Amino acid sequence: MANFLAQFQTIKNTSDRLVIAVEDVSDLWPTIKTAFEERLPFKRACLNNKTRNPVFVETLPAEFILTTDSRLRSRFPQEQLLFWFREPYATIVLVTCEDLDEFKTILKPRLKLIVQNDDREWFIVFVSKAHPNNDQASKMAKKVYAKLEVDFSSKKRERCCKFDMLCPEPNFWEDLESKITECVRNTLDRRVQFYEDEIRKLSEQRLMPVWNFCNFFILKESLAFMFEMANLHEDALREYDELELCYLETVNMTGKQRDFGGVDQGDDQAALVNPGNKALTQIVQDDSFREFEFRQYLFACQSKLLFKLNRPVEVASRGYLFIISFSKSLALHESILPFCTREVWVITACLALIDATTSHYNEGLAAPEIEKEFYRLLGDLYSLARVKFMRLAYLVGYGSDIERSPVNSASLSLLPWLIEKEKLILQTTPRAKHFGIQRKPLPLEPTVLLREANRRRASLSAGNMFEMLDGRPGTIDGSGLDASPRMSPSQKVRASSMSRTNSSPGNFDSSVDRPMRLAEIYIASEHALKQTISNTELLKSLSSLEEFEQKYLELTKGAADNYHRSWWKRHGVVLDGEIAAVSFKHAHFDQAAKSYEKVCALYAAEGWQDLLAEVLPNLAECQKILNDQAGYLLSCVRLLSLDGRLFSTKEREAFQSEVVRLAHSEMKDPVPLDVSSLITFSGNPGPPLELCDGDPGTLCVTIWSGFPDDITLDSISLTLMATYNADEGIKALKSSSAIVLHPGRNTITLDLPPQKPGSYVLGVLTGQIGQLRFRSHSFSKVGPADSDDFMSYEKPAKPILKIFKPRALVDLDAAFSSALLINEHQWLGILVRPINYSLKAAILHIDTGPGLEIEDSHVIEMESYAQNEDDQAQADGAKKGSLNSEKKFECLSLKDRKIEFPDWASDIPSILWVPIRAIGDEISRSSSSAATRRQSIVDGMRTVALKLEFGVSHNQIFERTLAVHFTDPFYVMTRVTDKCHDGTLLLQVTLHSEVKATLTIYDAWLDLQDGFVHTDGGIPTSSFFPLVISPSSKAGILFSICLDKANVEEANRGLPESILNIKYGISGDRTIGAHQPALNQSIGAHSASQDLIFRSAITLQRPVLDPCLAVGFLPLPSNGLRVGQLITMKWRVERLKDLDEIEVSKHNDEVMYEVNANSESWMIAGRKRGHVSLSTKQGSRIVISILCMPLVAGYVRPPQLGLPDIDETNISCKPAGPHLVCVLPPALSSSFCIPVSS
Amino acid sequence: MIVCVAVVGHQNNPLYIQSFTEADDALKLHHIVHCSLDVVDERVNNPKKSGPMLNETFLGLLYPTDNYKVYGYLTNTKVKFILVTTDLDVRDADVRNFFRKFHTAYVDAVSNPFHVPGKKITSRIFAERVSTIVKSFGLNSAG
Amino acid sequence: MVREVSESCVDSLLTEMVTSYCNRFYANKPELAARRIEAIGYQVGHQLSERYTMERPRFSDHLEAIKFICKDFWSELFKKQIDNLKTNHRGTFVLQDNKFRWLAHMSIDPSVDNGNSVEDNSAITAENKAAQAMSMHLYFPCGIIRGALSNLGIPCAVSADISNLPACSFVVRIKA
Repeated sequence: MANFLAQFQTIKNTSDRLVIAVEDVSDLWPTIKTAFEERLPFKRACLNNKTRNPVFVETLPAEFILTTDSRLRSRFPQEQLLFWFREPYATIVLVTCEDLDEFKTILKPRLKLIVQNDDREWFIVFVSKAHPNNDQASKMAKKVYAKLEVDFSSKKRERCCKFDMLCPEPNFWEDLESKITECVRNTLDRRVQFYEDEIRKLSEQRLMPVWNFCNFFILKESLAFMFEMANLHEDALREYDELELCYLETVNMTGKQRDFGGVDQGDDQAALVNPGNKALTQIVQDDSFREFEFRQYLFACQSKLLFKLNRPVEVASRGYLFIISFSKSLALHESILPFCTREVWVITACLALIDATTSHYNEGLAAPEIEKEFYRLLGDLYSLARVKFMRLAYLVGYGSDIERSPVNSASLSLLPWLIEKEKLILQTTPRAKHFGIQRKPLPLEPTVLLREANRRRASLSAGNMFEMLDGRPGTIDGSGLDASPRMSPSQKVRASSMSRTNSSPGNFDSSVDRPMRLAEIYIASEHALKQTISNTELLKSLSSLEEFEQKYLELTKGAADNYHRSWWKRHGVVLDGEIAAVSFKHAHFDQAAKSYEKVCALYAAEGWQDLLAEVLPNLAECQKILNDQAGYLLSCVRLLSLDGRLFSTKEREAFQSEVVRLAHSEMKDPVPLDVSSLITFSGNPGPPLELCDGDPGTLCVTIWSGFPDDITLDSISLTLMATYNADEGIKALKSSSAIVLHPGRNTITLDLPPQKPGSYVLGVLTGQIGQLRFRSHSFSKVGPADSDDFMSYEKPAKPILKIFKPRALVDLDAAFSSALLINEHQWLGILVRPINYSLKAAILHIDTGPGLEIEDSHVIEMESYAQNEDDQAQADGAKKGSLNSEKKFECLSLKDRKIEFPDWASDIPSILWVPIRAIGDEISRSSSSAATRRQSIVDGMRTVALKLEFGVSHNQIFERTLAVHFTDPFYVMTRVTDKCHDGTLLLQVTLHSEVKATLTIYDAWLDLQDGFVHTDGGIPTSSFFPLVISPSSKAGILFSICLDKANVEEANRGLPESILNIKYGISGDRTIGAHQPALNQSIGAHSASQDLIFRSAITLQRPVLDPCLAVGFLPLPSNGLRVGQLITMKWRVERLKDLDEIEVSKHNDEVMYEVNANSESWMIAGRKRGHVSLSTKQGSRIVISILCMPLVAGYVRPPQLGLPDIDETNISCKPAGPHLVCVLPPALSSSFCIPVSS
Repeated sequence: MIVCVAVVGHQNNPLYIQSFTEADDALKLHHIVHCSLDVVDERVNNPKKSGPMLNETFLGLLYPTDNYKVYGYLTNTKVKFILVTTDLDVRDADVRNFFRKFHTAYVDAVSNPFHVPGKKITSRIFAERVSTIVKSFGLNSAG
Repeated sequence: MVREVSESCVDSLLTEMVTSYCNRFYANKPELAARRIEAIGYQVGHQLSERYTMERPRFSDHLEAIKFICKDFWSELFKKQIDNLKTNHRGTFVLQDNKFRWLAHMSIDPSVDNGNSVEDNSAITAENKAAQAMSMHLYFPCGIIRGALSNLGIPCAVSADISNLPACSFVVRIKA
């Protein structure tokens, strides 16, 4: 049956649409032909598909052919069966007739004859030429037509239609078309039925030896073709798919290896999209189908249909898979095919497929994911072609110009395990990358092809048998490892073992061993390729390096662009990198840089460091050439921060030196560089550094340097961020001097100025290398920090510095409670109590107030102060307590009022004993009333201003003014106890002890003022001395004196007042108060014998026996005093005795008076002083009354009446005026305005 | 034979990648694994692609190239396992089996309290287990 | 070779961890202690989820993942499932365990808890103290849940509510 093939194909090629036969009974066709053919092709014809379901075919191409036409005549019957698809699908019988008789007699029998054999689908078109106006004719035509219908139409099928040539009825054409379609449909169904039966018969005996694929093929394809003609593409496609399936199952599986094909001229160019590439007769020879041609043919038919169905995407996806699988079977037959047919075929196939699909594909119509998918397929096709193309290029010796990148290596030679010998040959000298990076270049060698090429070379140079042979196993093992679709594992094992033996020295030595052979291989394979490649364009692109690169770029770009438009971004970016490599070679550095940046970004983003390490140097080189300093720096830093194992130390040092070099060169626009990945820092482990408010300190920070070598940071500064009070600004700690970081861990200390209270964490590390500012904000926990923030989330940033709120750090106080001796050397005890704060090297300034002086000459004592043990213990732990148990003592000296503390005193409380002396210039006076007592206390007060400077740099200052109370040892009160008849007065002197110390009186004597004399020799009987006075007790001494009458005249001679002298000793504890004065020489040696002198003035008045005037205060009104209420104060002045002559002569009976009142509490109305006349007679009296008003409520001293020019002694006050009077607050209703009393 | 296995984190960062070739050209395997992530993404994101095997951890064959095969596996925690092999006839069952063992090993490795999630897997034991699994894979597919 | 640990050990381990973090490491810094404990839980949950999701298809949506936590994950941890799951369908889920194992052996009696009496706020009443002690023990399970979910690609915040003991409900708020 194979001999029909040629015919079959020609028929197929000629007949491309349905045939509709026209039986022109009454020669009408010429006249109506045009009108009929205008209707072609038919629209929306309703046909049945293979599964007998009605489908609407948009356009149904058809052709009217007269039955008399030669094409329909003279066919052999069995041909008819075989090529049934070209037989007419419908027969139109054209008739016309004017009168009934003619119809009955002539036409009808003839028609009967025509339509009798019923295997044709037919119907009758009655054409009437009658003119519409001509009723006669048209009526007749109707009659005849009616008759015709009666005779030929049956009720189940309408077989007639009427066509008025002059005015066609409007629905005629629809009618006609529907009839034709009906016929076509029926015919089609019938023929499909027939073919299917035939095919079923054949497929049943498929596995029998008689089975002949050729018949099957012809039937199947006829059916498919028939569907195709009927525009039922779906069905046609299915037929072809089944055909292919059957082919692969039967023909290909049958053990006997058939002729593969593909050896003809031009077979290297894929024909997978043009079915008419080869005649079937070429494909099928002595009814064996050559796989090479036939599978391409089938795919071509399928793709043709798919395109018709407007499914280019499917073509692409099917096509890609087809190419893959087909290239595998090509690999199987590699040995018999021309050299590299496989590669060439794949290249051409991909390109052809790309062209076909893209030309049929119009954008935006498909759903987005479909579209992405399509572009992905295109990308795959491009890159597949690219790979194969590179292989060829390698073979003809352009390998050295192919970038040895991972992607190329991965796709070119997935046989990494070259035999050592091969490796050593195939090594090209690696291009030293930037920074002098040396890498063992990735293999690109298509090993199998090389072996093959070498074999060919050998056979060309008619070499020894070895070489002739060694190729074959080479290819087998190649296909075994490289591409064998189905090869049982055991076989594979053998294959690989064979490859081992094969690649063992010996035969391989002879083949590709010696380096110079490689060049020969290139030449040989180029020669071989010239034989293989028929495509001139492909040849051209392999002819020269430029051409090659152009093609290479074209393919790469194609792949990259399409990948970019698909899901496969990574593929796209990676290929961009390849493009970059080329543009780099051609010195288009900016393009290269752009692409490289994309690649680096991709790898960096996902942390593929190994790959990044491959590309980044290239980027850096571009940037360097483009003088993009910022970018270049950044790249260097990134290189440095890559995993250490990726580069040798030498290389990393090269990176660093670049950084340093740039940093010290002046850069146009120095951008701050982020080195977070390189330099990381952390506070020291353990608790944070704790400082008191205002204290400076030194902060210890650990810095990790990722630099391979020491690097000098000209300056660094580290910011501190307050954790709690965010408003607190950010402090920067600067390091004064340059710092050299060693690789790995460094510890640097920064001195820390006083900070505000709060706790701080490390912020950002900034610094300067030459001109270059850098910053790092990554903390490191134990080692260099890593980008992932998992842990850093977990650990809140550890505070490294804690500044306490201000608090009392030390306390200064007087070490004694009671008064000291005035005018004597006393120890001023200052208790210094540190409060959990070291007073190391503290300095105390002592400033004495007025009336107090420090004995500079004398040493100052300092001793540790042991409180009662328990609070000692808790004050500062057991250790210090024990340290405290033995008392420390030290003598210090005062340098211009400053004392430096000894070390032992830094942590424990201590007492400073400062010798001082209070100067009380006025001598103490005895008194007879309590009134004068107070002021004596006041002027006993002295102040000492203390200023303690302490802390690390004496930054802490504590100031305190101590009030120290000084006093005389005694307070003396005197009174005349008794006056005897002989004028002897007993003067009682009462001594109040003023100090908390035991006083011992050794002696006491009284130097009397003139006018008085001792009755005895003035020496008191010392029988009861020494007299001991315990603290706050009294003692009394009695002196008997008398007026001395003798020397009245020398009145103003000798003392104005008499002085009481007391020689006494004091034994007191300085920690309590008054004590033995500290003398310049040693203390306590003969302290007992220390005698002190206390002198007190006593004013004695001559007692006046008869005063001459008496002043009496007259009682106030009983109803008390009120503020703002006028009252009169009255005094009565009475003369007690006559004046002597002398006074009389001086001035007569006038007495001068004066009212003294505190102006704040009293308002005096009338004259405050004046003269009143008082007769000189004894007993004369007068009342002086003063109107006055109290201004303040409370107890106030009332106004006093005084008589200025009369000696007080001459005035006796009886009754005496009150000391205080009570003044009530004003009545509420009083309308007085009262001056505010301050 | 298996040329390379890899664990890739949920941010597509390599957690563990081990090649089993004598040659020191692991880089291209890195490349293959990295690019295969494209396919994984497509499988996961592209609704059309993931049909019946929706949400199955085993992603099946990722690459039908003509000289090696890449299989993928995506755990619930968005961790990807990639297997690169040069055998061109591999039974899915074997690969599934391989991935199951591999997953167990991985889980044990990351359950180590000293392993920081999202960091590279440095455990030596893990490496040993993996290599044994890989060896056994060769045998299983042969038998 | 699956090894097992007795419950009591786990219980006392939990208690010990809480006390040591609250009293020793972060005494009087309860919020820091809480964060650390929660973080430990996070890592544990992270790793457990890795193990317990083996051999199961990927979750298509959040609800599935939450259900996994309620059912399988919880039964792996506590031999029982979550008793009640509520959600507002806007990213908030409430997982209620009517008898939460880790609170089962805890008494609300304040005298028992001397653990979390933090010096600085000694003013708080005994009940508050007890509640605080409880909540300290709940940071760990919260962390576990959060770790598990975030490992399943669901970043979220988890808090616990012990208003009606021994029932304990965990509130999961998924970060959009």
